[in-house]
Amino acid sequence: MGQSNEGQGQSRAGTVTASEQVGRYVCCIAPAGGEANLGAIGIEGHEVYTVVHNGLCAVVHDCPAEPYQSDDVEVTTAWVLAHHGVVDAAWRRWGTVLPLTFNTIIAATEKSAEENLAAWLEAEYESLKGRLDALAGKAEYGVQVTWDPAIVARKIAETSPEIKKLEAEIGSQPRGLAYMYRQKLERSLRKETEAKGAEEFKDLYSRISRCVDNIHVEKPKEIEGERQMLMNLSCLVSKERCPGLEAELNKVSEMEGYSTRLVGPLPPYSFC
Amino acid sequence: MAEERTAMESVTRSQATLVDLLDRVLDRGVVINADIIISLAGVPLIGVNLRAALAGMETMVKYGVMREWDDRIRAQAVRSN
Repeated sequence: MGQSNEGQGQSRAGTVTASEQVGRYVCCIAPAGGEANLGAIGIEGHEVYTVVHNGLCAVVHDCPAEPYQSDDVEVTTAWVLAHHGVVDAAWRRWGTVLPLTFNTIIAATEKSAEENLAAWLEAEYESLKGRLDALAGKAEYGVQVTWDPAIVARKIAETSPEIKKLEAEIGSQPRGLAYMYRQKLERSLRKETEAKGAEEFKDLYSRISRCVDNIHVEKPKEIEGERQMLMNLSCLVSKERCPGLEAELNKVSEMEGYSTRLVGPLPPYSFC
Repeated sequence: MAEERTAMESVTRSQATLVDLLDRVLDRGVVINADIIISLAGVPLIGVNLRAALAGMETMVKYGVMREWDDRIRAQAVRSN
């Protein structure tokens, strides 16, 4: 990516003439530590640098004054990964960042894009500073809990008095009736498994939320095979609370039929 | 590298996959609502087209078609860290 971009290096505008690079692609906001150059790690290999204003900086690169759009999955994926790469590099460097959403491009108006950006930083200073301060020392983690409903259903079948009763009754029924009983049994079992899922969700949610600073419930993902994602969370976690979260998730993983995935640490995309 | 396991346990601490990153980079993060932001007919650009291009990718990954590709991208993301 960007390897063929001869003439980058010192020139912020890369190969394209300056007038075509009038936009400023903003990756994230960070606490200012003076001007910095993060190298040619932006989208399409653009040089990433900071626009410093009043104790805050915007981590940006020059870009054409139009959104990044493509039908090519490889291309768009490379852009998204570059965006993340910049946010991640800034996050490691400054400890805290507010990531901007993809394709945030400041345009030039009667003023230059850089002047517009500085004016925006000025106008939003209090809000941005407050949000950065609130995120200091914290990272985002994805927490996903999956379960195998079949294993859980089997356990229910072993313990539920109602299911056991139905099972016992099947044996003493003539064929036709036994079939109906079996259907009834399956329905009951499915209902109990679903109820168990809802109950587990509540329980897990309260256990996990006690270990983290903030929590968002995301849509569960489809996964292959028999397993289902019971819970998909984004969690904001202080460094010192991380071992507690891991310990709690370990307990969940020990439950038969359950497994957990902890993704991170990530910059706080979901909490800014 | 990507997998860190605590002493005895089974919670897998994993590196973000492509899907983890797409969800976050495209759908989250600060949104600037100001007229200095380039937009298309007032529609935030975050990916009307981008999402369309990427739609179905999760499904492809799910069925293993792009498994290798996803691994490669993931490895790339790890290296760039």
